Amino acid sequence: MSILGYNGGAMVAMKGDKCVSIAADKRFGIQAQTITCDFKKVFDMGPRLYVGLPGLATDVQTVMEKLRFRKNLYELKENRTMTPEVFGAMLSSMLYEKRFGPFFVEPVIAGLHPTTHEPFICNMDLIGCINQPDDFVVGGTASAQLYGMCEALWEPNLGPEDLFETTAQALINAFDRDAISGWGATVYIIEKDKVTVRDIKTRMD
Amino acid sequence: MTSILCPEIPKPGFSFDNCQRNATLESKGFAVPKATKTGTTIVGIIYKDGVILGADTRATEDTTVADKNCEKIHFLAPNMYCCGAGTAADTEMTTQMISSKLELHRLFTNRVVRVCTANQMLKQYLFGYQGYIGAALILGGVDSTGPHLYSIYPHGSTDKLPYTTMGSGSLAAMAIFESRWKPDLTEEEGIQLIRDAIAAGIFNDLGSGSNVDVCVIRKGSVDYKRTYDEANKKGVRQASYRYPRGTTKVLDTKVFTVEETVHQLETESMDTA
Amino acid sequence: MASERYSFSLTTFSPSGKLVQIEYALAAVAAGAPSVGIKASNGVVIATENKHKSILYDEHSVHKVEMVTQHIGMIYSGMGPDYRLLVKQARKMAQQYFLVYREPIPTVQLVQRVAAVMQEYTQSGGVRPFGVSLLICGWDNDRPYLFQCDPSGAYFAWKATAMGKNYINGKTFLEKRYSKDLELDDAVHTAILTLKESFEGQMTADNIEVGICDSTGFRRLEPSHVKDYLANIP
Repeated sequence: MSILGYNGGAMVAMKGDKCVSIAADKRFGIQAQTITCDFKKVFDMGPRLYVGLPGLATDVQTVMEKLRFRKNLYELKENRTMTPEVFGAMLSSMLYEKRFGPFFVEPVIAGLHPTTHEPFICNMDLIGCINQPDDFVVGGTASAQLYGMCEALWEPNLGPEDLFETTAQALINAFDRDAISGWGATVYIIEKDKVTVRDIKTRMD
Repeated sequence: MTSILCPEIPKPGFSFDNCQRNATLESKGFAVPKATKTGTTIVGIIYKDGVILGADTRATEDTTVADKNCEKIHFLAPNMYCCGAGTAADTEMTTQMISSKLELHRLFTNRVVRVCTANQMLKQYLFGYQGYIGAALILGGVDSTGPHLYSIYPHGSTDKLPYTTMGSGSLAAMAIFESRWKPDLTEEEGIQLIRDAIAAGIFNDLGSGSNVDVCVIRKGSVDYKRTYDEANKKGVRQASYRYPRGTTKVLDTKVFTVEETVHQLETESMDTA
Repeated sequence: MASERYSFSLTTFSPSGKLVQIEYALAAVAAGAPSVGIKASNGVVIATENKHKSILYDEHSVHKVEMVTQHIGMIYSGMGPDYRLLVKQARKMAQQYFLVYREPIPTVQLVQRVAAVMQEYTQSGGVRPFGVSLLICGWDNDRPYLFQCDPSGAYFAWKATAMGKNYINGKTFLEKRYSKDLELDDAVHTAILTLKESFEGQMTADNIEVGICDSTGFRRLEPSHVKDYLANIP
């Protein structure tokens, strides 16, 4: 097992109709031993911009702090909100800078453009190669299962309510077959005027 | 000049901060994860009026398809494009950086940059990293001296060829070229040959897949045909697996409203006193 | 004598609170070739004198109007060699920004960064300030921008301005002529007229340089194009 699976974790983001979703499990463990089940892995980087960081927990938090620092500095310096595209490019260049000694995270970004409200999702590998599809992105130890679930469940133009069900079910059923992720999950639905955060019931084993 | 008083963020160049920690982790048996590879079939030919480049669109992470429609033909300069195979991040970032350097070169020299210049920049950069930057490239372009096609290997060696292939599907693609390439192909014949070579990679190499991208570079014009051919169509799903609303048991819901920020600017009359 | 005692190092204030080296730098700018910039409703124009002392000089080989990125350009009054260093820096900073954010650098950001470089040369040891003032024009956010950068590192946003020799006359002229509904073509015309105010000798397409910036980007006007504008000037 690679170091990415040391703490476990699963993450998914999906595009809907004028909305995006991002969801993650809440387990934090050290290999097979569960430490806590209220661990935060999805962070808000703006009113309509969220980043999920699956991977090694120590790097999750370091990268999050670095990102927040860089994003705040950009917004102060340029006096404007950072768009998800720019945020993705910035994160990608941050990760590639450490090409030969990477942070062990595989980020997932979901957000709406601050002015046009255009949905945006992307994920990248641990050295910052951006993947920006039209449907969904996944990350973490259950990514193989998540690819399968999403490939079957996702359909275009889901509204916020249906997008929630699709995202939640894709995540739950994927991490039920992954021993080191699960133990509760949170789903974020990002819309133009509001963000809905739902904690959902899952198996706790 | 790196400013001391107001340092640029970030400093240009690679950072090796985590290397020691990562080496320690590796020595304790935690393998360094694999980065996304492009797998890839990439090809290029010289035809009557210029250069044609082609690529598949699959990116893989180990055996998982990570991206079904990624872009492997990268922009370098208005007269030059570059296909990339190998570590996806390396091909992407290397071409972006060289593209920046070429733009600076163009501004300094006030000329259309020559393809051999780009080739030299790429090989010197890759040679400097002794193959650790895993980018295998096919560089094609047209300049004042005509069309040029190069293949560049991760260690920094280069070939100047009339037709070439790279990536895991290179053998399948080369088989097509070896049997059908000839000098002075027309544009139509050229595109067809490229499509067939990429399709050979898509169907015979597991690292390559999805669609065919084609880029035609002539003197003074470029025709980038993204998704020129969809070699593999997914069957249309006949029914919906949509879960009815309320399937998921929700424990707790929080709603954050996002305020629309409106800046009212007051007009001030000009001070004419 | 007193002023000389405090001018040995530019990092030392004089008792009256001045950094005299910076004032001398501004004097170098004020003695330099005139340049003007005017913001129009649909673009910006920057123009400068490019007069040569000898008829033997090969015109159009060295330019004063330089492109920084597709949508930003600049000119200067003052010392040519200092200018070229700043152009090089500006281009590099623009590319660096693009590599990190995958978005063209906003004009304001570029101006801030160039100004930071100029400021640094007023506070570091063993260096002298730049002997140039820059006019930087750009187009982003669907609107034109025009900035001036001084040797001190101060920068200003202008609707229209003049720098270099006779800049006071130039500014007075612009204050009379400027209107915010100006079209780019009229602005080019006005810019050339402003240069003409203080021009000694015959103005031709070979001894002035003009750059314009609009939604299609920045470009230096060809001498033949400048000639067309000059033809309309009495």
